[in-house]
Parts: sequence; C-alpha cells; structure tokens
Amino acid sequence: MEIKLKVFRYLPNNGNKPHYDTYIMQVNPTDRVLDVLEQVRADSDPSLAYRRSCAHGVCGSDAMRINGRNALACKVLVKDLGTNEITVEPILGLKVLRDLIVDMDPFFEHFKSVMPYFINNEPLPSDGKERLQSPEQRERFDDTTKCILCAACTTSCPSFWANEEYVGPAAIVNAHRFVYDSRDRAAAERLQILNDQMGVWRCRTVFNCTEACPRDIQVTQAIADVKKAINSGKLE
Amino acid sequence: MSSLKTTLSGYAGYRGREGHYSFLLHRITGLGTALFLTIHIIDTSWVYFAPNAYQFAIDLYRSTLFGIGEIFLVFSVLFHGVNGLRIAFFDLIAPKFWQIKKTRSSTRWTLAVTLVLWIPAAGIMIYNILHHNFGMFGG
Repeated sequence: MEIKLKVFRYLPNNGNKPHYDTYIMQVNPTDRVLDVLEQVRADSDPSLAYRRSCAHGVCGSDAMRINGRNALACKVLVKDLGTNEITVEPILGLKVLRDLIVDMDPFFEHFKSVMPYFINNEPLPSDGKERLQSPEQRERFDDTTKCILCAACTTSCPSFWANEEYVGPAAIVNAHRFVYDSRDRAAAERLQILNDQMGVWRCRTVFNCTEACPRDIQVTQAIADVKKAINSGKLE
Repeated sequence: MSSLKTTLSGYAGYRGREGHYSFLLHRITGLGTALFLTIHIIDTSWVYFAPNAYQFAIDLYRSTLFGIGEIFLVFSVLFHGVNGLRIAFFDLIAPKFWQIKKTRSSTRWTLAVTLVLWIPAAGIMIYNILHHNFGMFGG
C-alpha cells in the first residue's frame, strides 16, 4: 500500500527551524510504524533520528506521537491506523534534542524522586532467606510492576505539558509499585513526597495516561489509589 | 517550546479519547462560568457605585446576543457541575472505577445528563428571547 508519511524534523545548531518532511512510500499493511521509519533511514534519509532498541514493545525506547496520539512505534501496525496518511512527532512536554529524540532527563529525575527501589532495613527472616508474601499481597501491586518507563503516559498528560515540575503519571505508578508492596517499609516517605501540589494532586484525571500506556497499566486508578492512601492514611 | 505553547498545542492537537475532550470541555465551561461570574459581580456592584451604568448592563443582558450567551452559560454550569460530581465520585468514593471502559461510558453519560437538564432550560430561554425581543407568542 502507498502511504504519505509526515515526520517532524529538527536539527539544532544547524540554522534550520522545526519542520515536517514528507515521504511517499510503499509499505506492507502489517508493517509497524518503526519499520516505516527504518525504511526511511535505509532508502531516503539516513539522518532521521529516533530512539529504538528491542523493537518488541519491551524496552520502551520508541515512544512517539503517531497521528496525534502517544504510542510505541514498534507496537503500532500501519493497517491499524485506518488511514494512508501518517504523522510522526516527538512526545510532548520534553525538550526536543533532534527529530524524534527528546531529553528524557527531567522524566527520569521525577522517577528517581519517588525512591523507586525496595527499602527494608529490618533483619532477614530467621531462616535468612526470602521475605515471603502471599499471592494476594503480590497481586495488589502487580499492575504497576509492568511499567517500562517509555514516558508515553507522562507526556500525554496536560498537567505535565503545563508544568514540567509535575512528577507525572509514570513516577506515581512506580511509587505505587513499592507503596503497596507488603515487604517494603518506606511507603510513608513516598506518600509524603507525593502529597504535594506537584505530586498526585496535580492529576486532573484526564485519562490520557491510561489510554496511552502500551502495557495497559491502569495508571489513573493507581494515582487514585495513592491519593486515597494519602487522604486516609491507610493502605487498602 | 514554552509550556503555554506546549499546553495549547497539546490541548488542540493531541488526539485523546473521551477523557481528553471531557477535560477540555470542563476547562472551557469552568473558565466561561468564572468569567461570567466576575462580570456579574462587577455589574451588580454598579447598583451602588454607578446606577446609570447598572441600567445599561441590565439592558445589555436583555439583548438577544446576551440571551444566546446565557443559554450557553447554563450549559457550562450544568456540564461543569455534572462532570465535577462524576470526577469526585470516582476519585473519592470509587477509585476502582478509573478504568478505560468505565471512563469512556461515564463521560458519555455525563454529556447525556447535561443535555437532558439543559434542553428544557434552553427551550424556556429561547421562548423568552422570542417573546420579549421579537414580539412572538403574544409578546
């Protein structure tokens, strides 16, 4: 099938302004948008820059706006877009470094700010082995363990577009993963960090994050869980 | 890109689903209502500070253009209120309802409830405009 691909281009320090390049191409309907971009690099313009790594929806490198909506380029099939015109742009709210590559540093700073690691300084159980938990306790935070830090959620959030200081959905999801882990002992500290104007209270329940998540994490629900935990002082 | 430019381009250009458009409508109706309330507080204060100007404001409110604006104002107040109740219910009482399916259907329900409340009110207001400003229905 023939498609018309429009790609956002920006090469800093080269005197050029952000613009769109258009390519008319022959592709297979079952090609992924990432395949289409690879084809551009191979056949038309090797200077096109974007991030990719595993190309199978696991590493989270290739989040971008495809026809106005955040997604992983390696998970979107051309035929599923329902149109022959495809527009690819960088995710919104983070500084564009070049073409489809954005500066992910602010995103990872927010991620780090919620202490996304296991904290438990209590002595190990008497057998010196694992800290056990029941399947039900594990189930409580199963959904939020699936995050691959692609930033599709955070950069689809109007609150983040308006203010880069907002910690963002991804950081809250990763806090949730440890707050609700029965083995962790730093839930109170994380809730204190998120109990801030730039924490969970900045969430306007727009739901773009949940719609954009390539791992189908119930992001808004996780944020609501954290809000409720802060309000009630209880982890349910 | 400045955050204002990013925000506005995201508002207008991001192709979200029902939640995105519900959020935008919530913002627009909230701003519209706040703007009207501000103007209304100012013109009401003219009763004391500038009686002539107050009479002018009342005449303006009775004009057809303002009458049409008030019909949209009623929609704004109703949508903002109903949607606010939906969000408060989900957020404070039933966070487990924050799922894609429930959000999509609840935003549609919110619009439907708003229209059910708004259409009769709009009908009465249109009748009043036609009656008082155009002499129809024995006016």
